[in-house]
Amino acid sequence: MAEALSAEVRDLSLVYRGRGRDVIALSEVSLGIAQGEFVSLIGPSGCGKSTLLRVLGDLLTPTQGTVSIKGRTPRAERLDRRIGFVFQEAALLEWRSVLDNIALPLELRGASRRDREARARALIELVGLTGFEAAWPRQLSGGMRQRAAIARALSTEPDLLLLDEPFGALDQITRDRLNMELARIHEVTGVSVVLVTHSIREAVLLSDRIVVMTPRPGRIERILDDPLPRPRSLGTRLLPAYEDLVRAGSRELEKGYANV
Amino acid sequence: MSDSTLAAPVPRRTAPLSHRLLDVAERSWPAVLILVALIAGWEWACAALGIKPYILPAPSAILTAALNDVPGLARNSGITAWEATAGFVIGSALGALLGTAFAYSRFLARGFLPFIIAANTIPVVAIAPIIIIWFGHGIGSKIAVTAFLSFFPLALNMMKGLQSYDRTVADVFHIAAASPLQTFFKMRLPSALPYVFVGLKLNVTFSVIGAIVAEFVQADRGLGFVIMTTYRTMAMPKLWAAMLLSALMGILFFLVVAMLERIFVPWHASMSTDP
Repeated sequence: MAEALSAEVRDLSLVYRGRGRDVIALSEVSLGIAQGEFVSLIGPSGCGKSTLLRVLGDLLTPTQGTVSIKGRTPRAERLDRRIGFVFQEAALLEWRSVLDNIALPLELRGASRRDREARARALIELVGLTGFEAAWPRQLSGGMRQRAAIARALSTEPDLLLLDEPFGALDQITRDRLNMELARIHEVTGVSVVLVTHSIREAVLLSDRIVVMTPRPGRIERILDDPLPRPRSLGTRLLPAYEDLVRAGSRELEKGYANV
Repeated sequence: MSDSTLAAPVPRRTAPLSHRLLDVAERSWPAVLILVALIAGWEWACAALGIKPYILPAPSAILTAALNDVPGLARNSGITAWEATAGFVIGSALGALLGTAFAYSRFLARGFLPFIIAANTIPVVAIAPIIIIWFGHGIGSKIAVTAFLSFFPLALNMMKGLQSYDRTVADVFHIAAASPLQTFFKMRLPSALPYVFVGLKLNVTFSVIGAIVAEFVQADRGLGFVIMTTYRTMAMPKLWAAMLLSALMGILFFLVVAMLERIFVPWHASMSTDP
């Protein structure tokens, strides 16, 4: 990596202290994420991919090792609202309109009503929710709810966008569409992205690099480069190189599943 | 094309007033019809079957008795309404504060809850004389009895409500570096409101009962006082009038709280599934 690093994880271990025996969720994981890079974490349940993501977002504290984002600790970055996080559920506030949900992080930061509304309206356009500013969350479809969650995560212009299986609960067609939206948002904003996914096809379609992880203990099995041409589109899936990468990724993945 | 363009247009947040009134009329006319039929049947039965007025006074007799003492009944209703409202507000406020403390401190919750639940099983008629001794013969003691009744449902519902927030939403607030105060007012309290209104709806009907029970024990005014004095003089039509007024008061209070719920919790799912 010649470019500047957006995030760096070095010799990271995380142990969940349980009753009787400890569970090693992550064991000596090291990974660098370049500025503007799109990295996917993939692997079977228990491989520590979500744990790694939560460490980057300062939702978990590692047992050993160092994590830095833009040269600072995840905590410092989080307290400055430099991290965006999207979860599998949209987790919108049901009592707020779509606009006010997207503006929430700015409101918590103390931005004026005018500033945060202007920013939220721009984001609503970016994620394709124009016309739904005043809607209640429960009036939205699952895909639209995730669009709002992505807009909310981008509202504070984060250095790092962390996505934890954001499209796992969506049907295939909606998922395809949101994959393309995410690819476009990544191109437009230039934000560094870490995506946790179960789908090797999703990972190959979107990423610059694919980190394949294996469980017990959670560690990195292999990192695959994904040099498919950008911008990515659904047509990317028709390229022979796409299928080659999916096959290569699946082979690596199966190693992880072999000892499940 | 994005999936948002396929979705149905967003419905208006609130329908125009004329539509809502029409909606209310449409939903309530069966109940009104039954009420009118009931009163007519009751009036007819009293005359046709020769039921003695002290067993069951006719609606017309009850109305006449009420009209003979409009200022008195109005004054006494006002006193009971004041006692019930003040007790409801004080008891609910104290309950909300304690419920909040319980939600934030496991020590307080575990330490106090067993005693709170035990105290909640005391019948109000048993505790009322004690409270009246403590708080004197004025309106204050009636308010205290009502507050005692309103306290527990809200403490328990407030605690449960504040603990019922979505854990992923809590993560969203953590990522956004929300302060504890922001987390309370922008997430946990709004999440608790549906529970709070369950407690308030319970309390508001209890509060009229509490005020009247307290007046039974000792009072020189209020609807409970009217019921006790008319009972002693066997002025049954007026007793019935006071009883019906207390029921009406309970219904009115309930409707006020239900209306507040519509204002403060319009997003709640139960709002859209009214029969």
